[in-house]
Parts: sequence; structure tokens; C-alpha cells
Amino acid sequence: MKEWTSFKRLLMQRFPVSKMISVSSMSNTILRSGKAHEKSSSSTHPEELDDPQKSSEESTKVITRQEFVSRLHELKDEINRAWHSEDRVKSLKLSIKVARLLMDTSVLNFYPTLFVLVSDVLDMLGDMVWERIRQKAEFAEDGAKFCSLRENFGVSDVPTDAKETCYNWFCKVGTIRELLPRIYLELAIFPCWRFLIEQPSESLQRLVMMTRGLADPLASAYCRLYIAHRAQKFPSHDTGYLITCVNDIKLILTRISSTKETAFGGFADSKRPLVSLMEPSVEFIMKSILNDASPRRVGKVLVELGIWRSQEELFGGLPCISIVLHHLLKELPTDIVCFHAVDILHLIKCSNDNSYDQYLNYRLVGLRLCEQISQITTVDAIVNEVIHVVSEYGLDEYLKVVDAYLDIVLQNQMDGHLKTILEWISKLASDKVLAEDELASLQSILVKLLSHFKNVEHVFSLNHFLQILDMMHGSSHSIVNMHILDMATRDGYLHDPTTIQLLFEISQALHSDTDLVNMKNDDNQQQARLISRFVRMVDHGVVYERHLAFLVECRGAFGSIIELKEILVHSSNCLATKALKDGKKHTGFVKSCIAFSEVTIPSIPGHIKQLNLFLETAEVALLGGLVSHSDDLIDSAINCLQSYDLVEGSRTVDSDGLLSSIRKLCSLLIMVPGNTEVGILHIPKNILSIIHSRSWSPRLSARLFCAIISLSATLSQERLPYHADHPEIMGNDLLFFGDSSYVRELLSLTESVLQNLVDIIEHEPSRAARGSVSLEACNCIVSSFKINEHILPICSKLIETAKSCLDAKDKYLTSTISFLDKNMHAATVPSSITI
Amino acid sequence: MSTKIELSLSRPNRIYRPSEPLEGKIVVISASSISHYGIRIVLNGSVTLQVRGGSAGVIESLYGVLKPIIILNRIIEIEPSGRIVSGTTEIPFSITLWNPKEDNSERFYETFHGTDISIQYLATVDIMRGYLHKSLSATVEFIVESDKANLLNQPISPDGIFYVTQDTQRHPILPELKSGGFRITGRISTQCPMLEPLGGELTVEASALPISSIDIHLLRVESVLLGEKIITETSLIQTTQIADGDVCRNMTLPIYVVLPRLSTCPTVLAGPFSIEFKVAIVITFQSELSRRHPKSDPLTPRLWMAMETLPLELVRTR
Repeated sequence: MKEWTSFKRLLMQRFPVSKMISVSSMSNTILRSGKAHEKSSSSTHPEELDDPQKSSEESTKVITRQEFVSRLHELKDEINRAWHSEDRVKSLKLSIKVARLLMDTSVLNFYPTLFVLVSDVLDMLGDMVWERIRQKAEFAEDGAKFCSLRENFGVSDVPTDAKETCYNWFCKVGTIRELLPRIYLELAIFPCWRFLIEQPSESLQRLVMMTRGLADPLASAYCRLYIAHRAQKFPSHDTGYLITCVNDIKLILTRISSTKETAFGGFADSKRPLVSLMEPSVEFIMKSILNDASPRRVGKVLVELGIWRSQEELFGGLPCISIVLHHLLKELPTDIVCFHAVDILHLIKCSNDNSYDQYLNYRLVGLRLCEQISQITTVDAIVNEVIHVVSEYGLDEYLKVVDAYLDIVLQNQMDGHLKTILEWISKLASDKVLAEDELASLQSILVKLLSHFKNVEHVFSLNHFLQILDMMHGSSHSIVNMHILDMATRDGYLHDPTTIQLLFEISQALHSDTDLVNMKNDDNQQQARLISRFVRMVDHGVVYERHLAFLVECRGAFGSIIELKEILVHSSNCLATKALKDGKKHTGFVKSCIAFSEVTIPSIPGHIKQLNLFLETAEVALLGGLVSHSDDLIDSAINCLQSYDLVEGSRTVDSDGLLSSIRKLCSLLIMVPGNTEVGILHIPKNILSIIHSRSWSPRLSARLFCAIISLSATLSQERLPYHADHPEIMGNDLLFFGDSSYVRELLSLTESVLQNLVDIIEHEPSRAARGSVSLEACNCIVSSFKINEHILPICSKLIETAKSCLDAKDKYLTSTISFLDKNMHAATVPSSITI
Repeated sequence: MSTKIELSLSRPNRIYRPSEPLEGKIVVISASSISHYGIRIVLNGSVTLQVRGGSAGVIESLYGVLKPIIILNRIIEIEPSGRIVSGTTEIPFSITLWNPKEDNSERFYETFHGTDISIQYLATVDIMRGYLHKSLSATVEFIVESDKANLLNQPISPDGIFYVTQDTQRHPILPELKSGGFRITGRISTQCPMLEPLGGELTVEASALPISSIDIHLLRVESVLLGEKIITETSLIQTTQIADGDVCRNMTLPIYVVLPRLSTCPTVLAGPFSIEFKVAIVITFQSELSRRHPKSDPLTPRLWMAMETLPLELVRTR
């Protein structure tokens, strides 16, 4: 039932209706119904019902679609109301009127919608009749329940009285004068046959035969659809009546295709729209026939449909109506399609009428075969036949069919055929602007190729591949390019210069096809990420200059991708480092790399990002022994820091990012030789002044102060823990060995920072944060200083602050206290700084 | 002070066969007790014949209603004189309709309500209360169907074969029909059990003009003997369309006509009257002429129509 509901919805969507509908013979029912409530049921003259001429008027009227639909809903309500006020005769009469609406097929595209609306009304009536007879069977006239019918009751369970009522309904419906409403009404109450006989298959067969009397192809097709729908109430394996339906439809279609275009009054324009209006019926009936069919039954069905001569002789070379064939092929079990593929292709070849495009049937078989490629036994014969057939097609049809068979060609390594196909495509497509449909097929084909082969070089080496790729444009082109990039960067670095060049061009194409204005758009993220990944995966080995040149080229080509520029800086830094590790003299090259980075960084938005990149580059410069470069870069970094809050101050500060960047800077400063010209400690002092000038949170400031304290403590050691890995750079420990002014300067800096630290903690508003920052500060102090009478009170004060803020059992608190205790006992051991 | 009396039959559809007892109960609802001189049921069955129109002339029409033919007229005592207590009293009864011992020459015709002929059976209950009081009575119609013993045992005769072509028509037809020709063949039952649909099939083998509709008309022929003359009235009782539009050639269409239960009965050929049936197969062709003519009597032969009429015997079986 759910299936039917969705089928109805699709049916209405498939044939969109213009706003206005011209109504002719149906107008009376529709137009009169508006006033119908005012009339009493007795004024509905029965003779009106029996006289179609009376309700048909010569002049056509126009009514809006919406109005029409709401009129039908009103009629439905009225039928319902009449029924529940015990006026069942009126319900029946109105239902007949509604059914009669289906006699007018001049509404064309509206017919499917009309069918859905009318069948809803009739289904409702059918349900009501069913309920009434069931009630009669279960309840006595005084309302007492005397029996209850099982879900799967038999005829013998039904009392005579209920049977009599049921029989009367069939008699009433059977005496309707006109054929179409008579069939529809019997179908509406068709489920009620269950009260009278076990299997009404004879009646079904009769209704199918009666439908032959409807000469209008559209009316009869939808009538058969309604038969198939109502018969579903009797689940049965006997599909004979449906087969007759299909065979009758085949006859009608043959008649349509053999008559002149003008033969069908309403369908003068073309037969195609008519056939496509009939298609849903063929589709539904075919589905009903082959739903869950066993192989034995499928064989039987094929014989009965005239597809197979007999179970033994199988395909007999008789043509089949192609639209019927299409829906048959859609529903046949996969193994049958695979097993009889060659015969099926032959059948398609002889079934070339205009009810359906032949090439779509070829395509369908290909798609069905792909469901189970391993089961196909006659691959060569199939592919040969298809290649032969399509060689006469134009580009669009060629692509659509070939696309369906490509997986078979690929999985069976039919390289010769693949070559032919690509060659043919490039021949057909050359000098031609590809249409949307063609692009879509081409996209599907190329994507299939790409997913089949393991590496991108192999695909590039296929004849005509690149040529075909070049012919594409628009979003399909981008999608294929993205697949290529994804595939190329999937496993490991790219070394081959030709491949790299091709991929670079593909990236360029992708970049230019992508909407630059909306680069931040989520849709385009994927493209940016793929291009960036490609750039990152390029590896020119020891040909460093070429790699740097490549980076320069990328910067020019993909300037709008921010993510990529970061990668460019990393790559150039990485390149410099590699060159340095090489041992040979590469100073000039390293300088170029550093210059490249230095120039690139400012165009990347985000000061923290810039700061980190400058630091990274500075580190590389230091590694290369380029102290002055490194100093400049660190200055640039400090500048970033300075501008950071000014520009982005309105937003919340990224404390963690900032903290880690400054910590990183501090650790870098350990290696940087002090510059006496500007003052050895001018950088930490700069940082301090920035901290002071900003209104960062006390928590962040406190942590930054701790970083400076650790830095000073480290610098004051006689031997620094690490040095720049370059022979010509001396660390501060050597430069200022025994220099008391250096120590003094460090001391005075530290002292003021220490005071700042203690002060700022008091300003932290959050208790929990104040507690943990106190402990953090205390830990920093204890590990940086010797514990003496100056330091101890500070530590004690911090511990007190922490105690006042935190739980006494807090683990951080207890471990800090024990750490402090341990260091107090070890106070005799010389520590870093003495105050 | 009101007293209600009702005659309630045992079967909701009120159908009885002559050999079966007519069963039911007399229901009296009364506020006080009633004394009476006896309760009886009167059974009455008769054929009413009437002449109006049809082949009857002006003079015959003047006769109006003929003397009815009595099939059944019996009075059965249900209870002798006595009293009915107040409240609801139910008095069951069971009456044999056909008494073989009695010399009952008339047949029990089946109930039928036609244009000129009506066959009706009535049961009336009377509670006689002497001269001072009006007697209480109630009447109900019951329906008689033929007895199983009388049912036809002979096999149903084979279907009638028909051919409808331009040469079988007894009325003038359109010249293009005459010259172009048509051929519609088939078979249809000529004897049909009452409870079963009239069956058959039809095939359009050829037709020069496109077909507009094919209909099966069910006709009833009532004949009444009036003096030396037989007055016949033919009426159309049902039309069933079996083809709508120009159907495919050489495709077999089923003929399946459900008989209208109220206006049919088994074919009767009695001396003073008869009830017979016919089927007409009418083919209407698409033509400009037919569009210009307003809808008229479907039985009148027209230029754009072809027809074939076959006799039909309705029988009671099973």
C-alpha cells in the first residue's frame, strides 16, 4: 500500500499540469458539485446518471487546476457524508459520476492526476463497502456481535445475509450502463469478492477482457493500472490477467505506431506524449508481474509475453514493443539478464518501434549487466555487438550507451575496445561544443576510468584521454579534474615532471572553473583542498631550484587559495631545510627560499598565522646561519604580534594560539644571539610592553609572564640547553660569558616580571582560574628560582591564593605543595638564579 | 390507546418457494388486553393484466384493467377466539403455500412487476373483534420463486451465433456504411439462468467507419390476450455498453450483462398472457449525422446504427 502511495505521488509529479484545464464532458459533475450541498439527495435524478449526453456540453469550459482538485475533494467529502448518513445509494451515484470523469482523456497531461484523484475516491468507497459487509457478517441488526471474522477468513465463515448484501452490491455496480464507470466501480468493490468466493481470478480475467472495450488508449491503459492496483488485495501467484493486460497494451501500441499521426484526436501533435502518458501503467504492471518471481515463473512469463517461444527454444527473434521491453528488462532478475544477454541484445535490435528510444534499451541492459559483471559468460559477444551498434550513433547516444558498458570493458581488461571507445569519442566530440547531457555522460565515463586504474600516469597515457578531457568544460570538467587530483595525490609523493606539469594544468583549469568570488563557499573547499594537497605532494627530489620555481608558479596561479599559500611557505621552508641538510653549499638557494617565504607570508590573513610562519622561517634562517635574516623575521613576527590585537581586538582573543606562539618565540630566542646594538633583551622587553599595553585577560597575561620568566631563567644559565645547529652561530652563553651587565639586565627584567605576575593574578576574576594560575605561577617560579627568603614569601602567597580558591584536596594543589617542599629542602643545591 | 400489529416474515429477503412453508410471526403491541373472535391469515396471489399503449388500440385501452387471474386465495385460522394480553405478543405461524391435495390448477408464477403485467403475492393478518371494533390487520408482500422440483433440468441450450453486417440490416443505413461494409460477429446466450449474468463474446472483424459504441439492450416483451387479439408491449429494461469508441479489430470483447433483479422473471408462456425477453446488439458508428441528432429512443433504427436482435429465455435453475 505504501508502494501505491509513492507511485501515485510520482505519477502526479511526472506529468506537471498547466494552471488551467479545459473541461468538456466532465464539466457538469465538476461545476455542479459546487452547489451540490444545497440540493437534497432526492433531487439528484437517476436519469441524469444514465445519460452521458446530457452532461456533455459542446462548449468547453476552463477551470483552474486548483479549483478542479478542490471540487473533487468536495465530491469525496460528500460521498463520505452521504454514506455515513445511511444514504448509500447517493454515495454510489456520486461515485459513478466521479468515475465517469475518467472517460474524458482530452485533458492529456492532467489525466494521470485525474486518475489519482478518482482512484482515491473509489478506493474509499471500496473500503466503506467492505466495512459494511464485514459489519453485516459480524453484527446482528440489533448491534450484538455474533461472530468475528479472522484476518484470513474463508467464504464459509460469512453468513448468508452478508453474502446477500455483497451480491447486491455487485449487481448494482454491474447494471451501470457505461463501460468505463462499470469497470472502475467493480474494481472499487473488488476486494469484497472475498465474501463470496475464494479466488476471484475469473472475474479479474473478465475485467481485463472488458477493458478491451475501451478504445481510448489512455483510458484503457489507466484502467489496467487500476486493475493491477486493486488485484493486489488478492495476493496470488497467478499473473495471467496481468500478462493479458500487457499483451493488450502491446496491441494498442502497435496500432498507435502503425497509424498516421493524426489518427488520435487529442494526440495530434505526436504519438510520443501519448506513449509516455501510458508508460506508468506498463511500468506498474510489469513490476507487479515480476515482483519476487521465481526463475521458473519468470520463464513462464517470458513465454506468455511472447518473448520466448517456449521454455526450451527461448528467444525466437520476434520483435517486442520497445517500451514494454524496456520495463521488462528493468524488472527481470539480474541472473537472467546476464545469462541471456546476447539474445536480449538481439531482441532489442529487432524491436525498433517509436514507442521508446532503442538506445535507452541498450543502455539499460548495460546497466543491468553491471549489477553482476562476474556472472556474464559471453562478455566478448556482448561488447562486440554493442560496439557495433553504437558505431552508428551520434555523440550523445554513443556516450549514454558506452557509459553503461564501460565497467564491463574495464573489468575484463578489454584494452582494444577501450581504445576504440576513446578514439571514437574524441572523433565524435571534436570541433563541437558539448551539451549538458553529453558532458554528464562524459563525466560518468571518465570517472569510471579513473576509479578503475590504480595510478594516474596510466590514465594519462591512454590514447585520447587528455584530448577528451580538454574538450570538457563547466562543472563536469571540474568534477573529473577533482577525481584526477584526488587519485594523483592519494598514494605518496609525485616525482614525474610530466605528470606534475599535467596535474598543474589540471589544477589551473579547476581553479579557473571554480567561482573565485565564492572561494570561501563550502562547495569550493574541496577544490582548494585538492589543489593544495597536490602542491604539497609534489617532490622534485634534489632538483631544489625546480621545486622552488614550481612553488613560485603555484603562488602566481593559485593566489586566491589561502590554505595553499601556507603550504607554499611550509614547502619552501622544508625545501631550504632539505638543502641545508644536504651538506653542500646552498646559501644562495636558502636565501631565495627565505625570501620567497618572507614575501608570501604577509598575504596570508591572520596575524597569529603570520606570526607562526615568520617564526618557522626565522628558525630556518638561523639553521642556515643567516642571523640578520632571522633577526628581521623575528621583528616581523613581533610586528604581527603588535598588530594582532589592534586589528582583531574586537573579537575574542585566541588565548591558546597566542600563548603557544609567544612560548614558541621565547624558545627560539634561546638560540638567537643577543644583539648589543638594540639591546640584548629588547625582544622580551618588546613582548612585555605589548602585554602591558593590551587588556588581555589576567590569566593569559600571567601565563605570558611565566614564559618570560622561564626564558630569563634559561638564558641566565651558564650553559644553554640547546643551540642553533650551525657552526658559525654562537649562543648567548658564549657571547656573554662572565658578562655581569648581561646578568644584571636579566635580573632586573626578571624582578619586574615577577612583581607583575604576582599582581596580575589578583586581578583574575574567576576563582577557579585564579587558583590554577597561582599554582602554575608557583610551579614556574619554583623551577626557575632558588628558594630563598625573597622567593619563599611569594610562593607562600601564591599557595595561599590557590588554597583560598581551590578545594584542599585538589591534586594540582597538593602536588605543587609537595614540589615546593622538596625544593625548599634542596635549597642548598645551587639553582639558576639567586635574588 | 393504540394497538400496533405487524406481520414479520422469517426471511429478510421475503423469498419463498411454493413447496416451502411461509413462516413468520404476528407481532401485536398493545397497551391493554384485547379480546378477539379469532386470528387468521389470508394469502392472496394474482396476475393483474392491464392494457395501455403498446400495440393496443383506442378501444382496447378503454377496457383498462382486465379481470385478474387468481393464483392463490386461502384463509388460514391461526388462533380461535380469545384474548391477547397487554404488552408485546408474538404469535408464530407456518403455512404451507402449495397443497398438492387441493385441486390447484393454477401455476405458481414467479413474482413480477412489469408494465402491463404484475404478479403479486400478499399475506394479510386479520384479528377480528366483532362489530363494535374495527378489526386489526397488516399486509406484507412476499416473493415467490419457482420450486426446486419444477426447475429446469434440461441442459442450457447453446449460445446463439450472430453476424452483423451491412447486409443483415432491415433498416436503411448510411451509404458509406453500405459501401464500406462492416462485420461484427459473436455469440450470446439465448437461455440464461436468472441468477447468472448473460454471457457471450463479440469481435469487430471489420468496419469502414470508426465505431462509436456497442451496446447490449435487454428488452422485455409482455403480451396480453384480449379477446381474439394479443396486445404486446416491448420495453427496454437495461442497456449495457461493452465497447466505448473505435475498438481494436479482431480483439474478442466479452459480453457480460448482469440482469436487473427487479424487472425480470423467468420467461412465462401462459394462455392469457406471456412474459418474454430479447437481447439486441446495437452498434453505433461515428458520424456527423449522429452528432446533429438529439438523443432519441435507442431502439429506433437510425442510419448510423446497425443491430441484431435475438430471443432470450430466462430460466430459474439451481
